[in-house]
Parts: sequence; structure tokens; C-alpha cells
Amino acid sequence: MTLVTWQSWLVRTFARGTLAAAFMRTHWGWPAAESVHFIGLSLLFGTIVVWDLRLLGVGRRIPFAALHALLRWTGIGFALSAGSGVMFLMTEPTEYVYNPSFHFKMACLAIAGLNAAAFYLTGYGRAVTSGTRDVAPRAAKLFAVISLLAWLGVIVFGRLLTFYRPAWCEATPATFVARCVPSLNQQ
Amino acid sequence: MAAIFAVLGSIESSAFSTWLRESPSLLAFPLMLSLHAIGMGLAAGINGAIALRILGVAPGVPLGGMRPFLRVMWAGFWMNAASGVALLIAYPTKALTNPDFYLKLTFIALALVTVRALDRRVFRAPQALDAVPTPPGARVRRLAVASLTCWAGAIIAGRLLAYTYTQLLASWR
Repeated sequence: MTLVTWQSWLVRTFARGTLAAAFMRTHWGWPAAESVHFIGLSLLFGTIVVWDLRLLGVGRRIPFAALHALLRWTGIGFALSAGSGVMFLMTEPTEYVYNPSFHFKMACLAIAGLNAAAFYLTGYGRAVTSGTRDVAPRAAKLFAVISLLAWLGVIVFGRLLTFYRPAWCEATPATFVARCVPSLNQQ
Repeated sequence: MAAIFAVLGSIESSAFSTWLRESPSLLAFPLMLSLHAIGMGLAAGINGAIALRILGVAPGVPLGGMRPFLRVMWAGFWMNAASGVALLIAYPTKALTNPDFYLKLTFIALALVTVRALDRRVFRAPQALDAVPTPPGARVRRLAVASLTCWAGAIIAGRLLAYTYTQLLASWR
């Protein structure tokens, strides 16, 4: 599958969310979803920063096992942001699928996710939360640094989306590539 | 009224304001927006984490141990104050002619009052570092709810700024 067919498949798939798009096109639909997206961002980022900084040595009086319970709210924040984020995609899929800033944002998100998965799969998660030491092993600190950088990247590239929107082009999701991607039109 | 718009207009025609609005550099408007989003995540987010702890999430965490994170929260706040002033210098008329902007500032002011009250009542309290944390009282819990409400209000009012302004620049009359 080439990049072009993969992208047009993505656009068509997200464009199927017509119910969500109808809500988003109501007067307050888009700003409401944006508000949820930012509140989710704050919950997600605030709680993950506390956890990652604790791994890096801030707040040593807090036991890791006790603090780990806070991360449930990282998940809740993520659910709010991801849910509202998919709403944006279902309403204006071409604005994101063909936006380079969105590609970087998703890459950072993937790094954050893989990094979190690796933290637990390598056993460091268990070692930190079930141990009695108040200092995290050095490798666990590396996970924390990668996590902080990746989430910062998600926020920055998210904010930069608006500056890298593809030029406006009148088309339906099905005809977008054919009508609006110049390199293909020339062929 | 004309005098106010003359002042706003002169801010908008200043070199810094024009650069922020019109420069294609990522260090102009895009950087300010990015800093504003990161600062929001730190200020509202860490405040949220502390408020959730007070309301019973992660009950084994000694509240006194969370005090170092208050500094990070304040760093986020000052990051937002600075980037917010830059965004205001870029579009002073857009913000100052919008009632929603004052609503946002009110929410932030009230949120800061709750943060200071929580710092005094919770973090500096003598029992803050007990090994077995005592559950916070009703008054402190109400403060935590107020804090979460004010930050959510500030975020929503801030987001709505882009949809509720009526005049973009002083010259647009």
C-alpha cells in the first residue's frame, strides 16, 4: 500500500463519522470539543509530569507505589483528548491526514506510548512500584526523560497544526487526492 | 473610547506586536501559543493532580510530599503569564474588547486564590508529612473542587476566545 492510498483510506474512514461531524458543525460543537481536548491535555500532562519528575528525583517523600495510583487519571485525561481528537478528524479529515505537523504529533504520541509500554514490559515499572527504595534506577529515569520530551512534542506539534494546514481545496474526502494533490494531477 | 482605541492601535503598530502577528518565524506567534499550551498543562494539570489527591485519589501519597510540585506548577503559571502577555501584545483589541477575556482572567485569579489557600492549609500544615496521611477535611476538599472548577473554567473561557471576539484590530472599525 502506498502512502497516497493509505492516506486516502484514512480520510475516507474518518469521514464515515457523519454523526460526530454533524455535532461538530453545530454552533458550539467545535469549541466544546476543543475545550474537552485541552482539559484532557491538562489532566494527562499534569499527572504524567508529576510521575516522571518523581522518577527523576523530585518529591522523594512520596512512595512510588502510592503515587502510581494517580496514573489512572493520566488515562482518563488521555481518553478525553483522544475522544475529542477523533471528533476533529471525523469532521475535517483532510486537515489532519495531509498536515505535516499532525504526522509529527502522531509520531511523538507513538513514542510516548511505546515508551510507556516498554517501561512496564521491561520490568522497570514493577521494580519501581513494588520496591521500597525512594530512588528510581537510572534506566527508569531514561524512560521519564523520553516520556517528558515525547509529551512536550505532542503538545507543541498539536499547537503548530494550524500553521501547516493543507491549502483549502474544494473536494469531498473521496475526491480529495485526485483533485487536491498537485503531484498526482500532473501524472 | 477613541483614546482607548488609539492606545490599542499604537500597541498593534509597534515593532514587537507586528512581528508577533506577521512574522513567518516559528519563534513568533507559534512559539507563544506552544508555550501557552505547555504552561497550561503544567499549571492546571499539576494543580489538578494535587486537587485529585485531596479528593481521595492515590490516598497513600503524603500531601506534604507533593509540595515540590507546587513549584513546577508556579513555573507553568509564570510561563503562561509571559506568553499570555505576548499574545495580548499581538492582538490587544481582540482580547480587551471581548468580555470572555475578563471571564478567563477572573477564573485564573480565583484559581490562584485556591492554590494559595491550599498551600497554607494543606502543605504547610504540621501534619502534612505524617507517614499515615490524615484524610483532608471538608473545607479543604471544597477548596480542591473550587480549584478544579476554576481551572476548567479558565481553559474553556480561553478556548472560546477564538470564537467570541468581535473586533480583531483597532484599525478595523
